[in-house]
Amino acid sequence: MTDLRRRLRVGMVCPYSFDVPGGVQNHVLGLARYLRQVGHRPYVLAPGELRSSTPALDLEDFSSVGAAVPVPYNGSVARVNFGPLSAARVRRWLRNGKFDLIHIHEPVTPSISLLALWAAEQPVVATFHTATPRSRSMQLAGGVLRAAIEKIDAGIAVSESARNVVVQHLGRDAVVIPNGIRFDDFARRRPAMRADPFDELRTTLDEARRSTDSGHSAGSPPEPPQRPRLIFIGRLDEPRKGLDVLLAAIPLIRQARPDVEVIVAGQGRRALPSWCCNLGPITEEAKIALLNSADVFVAPQLARESFGIVLLEAMACGVQLVASDLPSFVDLLGAPQDKERRGDVFGVGDHRALARAVLEALERPDPLQAARAQQAAKAYDWSSVGMAVLAVYRAALSTAPSTLAADGEV
Amino acid sequence: MNTVEILAVIIIVGVVLVWRISWLATRVHRATTRAERTWSVLDAALFGRAQRAAELVMMRSIDPATALLVLDAAVATLDPDLCQGERELTESDLSHVLDAVDPMLPARPSELDMERARASMYRRLHNDAVSTALALRRRHTVRIFRLARRSVEPRPFEMAEGTFCTLTACPPDSPEGSTSPLTTVMVREAEN
Repeated sequence: MTDLRRRLRVGMVCPYSFDVPGGVQNHVLGLARYLRQVGHRPYVLAPGELRSSTPALDLEDFSSVGAAVPVPYNGSVARVNFGPLSAARVRRWLRNGKFDLIHIHEPVTPSISLLALWAAEQPVVATFHTATPRSRSMQLAGGVLRAAIEKIDAGIAVSESARNVVVQHLGRDAVVIPNGIRFDDFARRRPAMRADPFDELRTTLDEARRSTDSGHSAGSPPEPPQRPRLIFIGRLDEPRKGLDVLLAAIPLIRQARPDVEVIVAGQGRRALPSWCCNLGPITEEAKIALLNSADVFVAPQLARESFGIVLLEAMACGVQLVASDLPSFVDLLGAPQDKERRGDVFGVGDHRALARAVLEALERPDPLQAARAQQAAKAYDWSSVGMAVLAVYRAALSTAPSTLAADGEV
Repeated sequence: MNTVEILAVIIIVGVVLVWRISWLATRVHRATTRAERTWSVLDAALFGRAQRAAELVMMRSIDPATALLVLDAAVATLDPDLCQGERELTESDLSHVLDAVDPMLPARPSELDMERARASMYRRLHNDAVSTALALRRRHTVRIFRLARRSVEPRPFEMAEGTFCTLTACPPDSPEGSTSPLTTVMVREAEN
């Protein structure tokens, strides 16, 4: 049996490229960073490139399976890898890495995750990020997929809704461990901060805007803090992120508060009204500054948010929160009747309810509610989330039947 | 088709069948082995939980009635002669006792919470491994060719777990009393 206290070589497989920002990618890097901090050695296999070494990962510990191919999947365009060449690269990485354990993210995406699961002979931990039922493709893929899923020694789901999908559609079970955040990075907002530091913020935002292509920054630059500021962060061109709901609500909000300022940030091109300031894709630093400058953070997502990491980051900043009542958001913020709730929710897709909730938050800001949100977000810091993941690693290492000879199906 | 062709077809079909069956046998063996190992890990975790519970007795200013209740329930789970059904009952009783005495304790026993969370996690992994193994062992091919004959059929372990903080909610370095986020992350197990 493997000695559980020694330095572990963990091979992590991320099906999405680090060239584009995303929840799964951030999770992988955050976990890698935590593992390094506590003395383990993470390696990452992903499509695309890692441009430079990060605190989470040295360049030499990153392996690429080559450029990903854009394919429509899971309601958005996923950039994935498949085919014999990718499969061979995955196998070579698994063979040369001498890993104690493989940690596969999104194991049932038709990409390197599934290829790695198929080929792995080490103990396998798998994290399920999405809450998307895929029963039909499960049925079609049949035995092949089921045999791969059987190889998972310990499953992790990022939320109860993600776990439900695992139980109902994959016939397995998973330990619920939420996504982690670096709490201290986000929780910079102090009461004094509202008074002045907007010069710093504006510089960051300007830099962020310059670094993106100038074409799609429309509207006026961020104004001084007297104007109430609404923030949306998420893909702009993906309907399920719900930007349309927010845009439909803004005229209603502007009737009561004509001075309201709307800032959106995220990947994707789309035409926006002139009163809407579009920052485009922004860096992590700019995101933190932006969230800390917000009066109200709006999360109008329509569906399939299994966790809501940006909402959690906004919680850590201690801003007022207005979100659609998706189960995972209600888990984070609390039900509308809950006196101890950490934010306000509205019916999915209901722009009138969104406008009402935003106006309510602007008229009667509730610092206690925001403080509760911040306090709740603290439980999701990597120091505690990472420890729970390590507990699952230990479980997988001591229970995996990996001493068996190489399996016949590989 | 002449005889050679028929023979060739039979041989190919035979080889494919044998390959399929040996693959299935590997999967059954792997799933069963995993379920055996998850059980031994769960067994150890439950033992750790009982041990931590028994240590409550050494808490300063715990009253003797509470101490006796906890100790009795903890020791009952350690009897090596229990069959699985009896073990499930005694472990559930220990959970109930721990929940009942929790408000009476002078300080929050974070290490006991950790052990309870760990046991809960291992139980989920064990029951998951068991159901995977059982699903495979109940297949027709596995039964007809008796691919699982050399191993004992694993059983899920059912018990009440009670209420405690999850692994993520109580990191050992967090100061005691900073429990406000726990409302979202307390686990309340429905009683079986």
